[in-house]
Amino acid sequence: MVKSLLIFYKTEFKLAFREFSGVLFGIFLPIGIMLLLGILYGDKLAYENAPYTLLQQSVAAVLTVGICATGLMGVPLTLSGYREKKILKRFKASPASPLLLILAQFLNNMTYAIISSVAVVGIAVFGFGYRMIGNPVLFILSYGLLMVAIYAIGAMIASIAKSEKIANMLCTLFYFPMFFLSGATIPYELMPKGLRFFADIMPLTQGIKLLKATSLGEWQTDSMNAIWILIFTAILGMIIAVRTFKYEYES
Amino acid sequence: MSKIALEVKGLVKQYKDLTAVNDLDLKVEAGKIYGLLGPNGAGKSTTIDCVLGMKPYLKGEITVLGLSPTKDRKKLYQRVGVQFQSSFYPERIKVYEICEMISALYKSPDDWRGLLKQFNLEAKSRHYVASLSGGERQKLSVLLALIQKPEMVFLDELTTGLDPKARREVWTLLKKLNQNGLTIFLTSHYMDEVMALCDEVNIINHGVSVASGTPQDIIALSGMQNLEEAYLYFIDEKEMIHGEVAFDIL
Repeated sequence: MVKSLLIFYKTEFKLAFREFSGVLFGIFLPIGIMLLLGILYGDKLAYENAPYTLLQQSVAAVLTVGICATGLMGVPLTLSGYREKKILKRFKASPASPLLLILAQFLNNMTYAIISSVAVVGIAVFGFGYRMIGNPVLFILSYGLLMVAIYAIGAMIASIAKSEKIANMLCTLFYFPMFFLSGATIPYELMPKGLRFFADIMPLTQGIKLLKATSLGEWQTDSMNAIWILIFTAILGMIIAVRTFKYEYES
Repeated sequence: MSKIALEVKGLVKQYKDLTAVNDLDLKVEAGKIYGLLGPNGAGKSTTIDCVLGMKPYLKGEITVLGLSPTKDRKKLYQRVGVQFQSSFYPERIKVYEICEMISALYKSPDDWRGLLKQFNLEAKSRHYVASLSGGERQKLSVLLALIQKPEMVFLDELTTGLDPKARREVWTLLKKLNQNGLTIFLTSHYMDEVMALCDEVNIINHGVSVASGTPQDIIALSGMQNLEEAYLYFIDEKEMIHGEVAFDIL
């Protein structure tokens, strides 16, 4: 499995690079947002006498844009596209398991998300003087957990959709509310109370809260809840994705 | 007693109101080349799909290399190669990349570079699959079915799109592999191909077997001169024999 996974990953990575439109979105959108926020926020404090700046508060959220673009668009759209074009049919008559095909997409998209994150942090550090207050190891672990949870949702969308068209629709349905309401683009702190309740239901919101807590060194009581919600989302999403995986759409 | 590579008993496959395969029996001896013939829509590809566990079926018993295609899928696919009637690949994948991917799925695969050479595709190794000609793509799909050094291979319309020279190259290669013990199950619309390759054939029409035996048996049974005429006779297209339709129209 490891050998085949590495070869599938390597090939999928090259295919995604040749395609480039998806890569462009996953890598450059977060970079663009980071540049914009850096210019807008400068070294403004998050609030009066706050121990951190607006930029320090926002970097974590910007990183999740890349995770969402790759996990909620890249993973499901590639898998459902392969299924629609009957590319996966060949693998049905081979020892390739659904898990192998899903994980190859995970690794491929994760690589692009990580490249994007490294670029975002690089711009924040060297362009706008960003320094992480919290523990970087805890932050990286939280980032990894959020990534797995979001990718599991993406894989689940790809598996449960009965056609590429439905997969597209579901991606939009999951992606845009999460993108705008979870704090990835509009800071959670600026949202009205009613909207915050809706945002709290989304795993991405929990992930952003966790990333903010670890990056700002403000471990809060609900940080542990966020970890459990993300673990639960990751496990449930993967179980559904593998169990309902189809190699071809019913005609 | 010879070993049986594939045995199908009473296979029934239905699509809503259509019975695609109806009470079909097949027995393929190990080391033989077996041809499943029939017009388009006769149930050949559906039979292959059922035999390989790709599609559920209503009734019947299927054993491939002593394994059940539904219960022992992973074990079976290590030992069986498949070339589907139509093969599809990611848009920007190169020939060597798809070979690497398929090869990585098996425990002890063949050297795919050697296979590319045997199929005269070596020079195309770094080309995009999408840029290959129809014949080259067909050869590639046969090659991919052989990559894991299978004991049995299923080839659905194996030489469709190939020019006469390429067809003969593929036949020679398959004959060689067969002499080394590979059992081949194929479908084809070319009767010269069936005559050149098959030890035994089974003609099906509307999902029902209408004649089976060696190509010579089939010809003798029909009372016709050659396999093509025998085939037309058995699929109930007697008027097509000797070009009588053309004669009538004229």
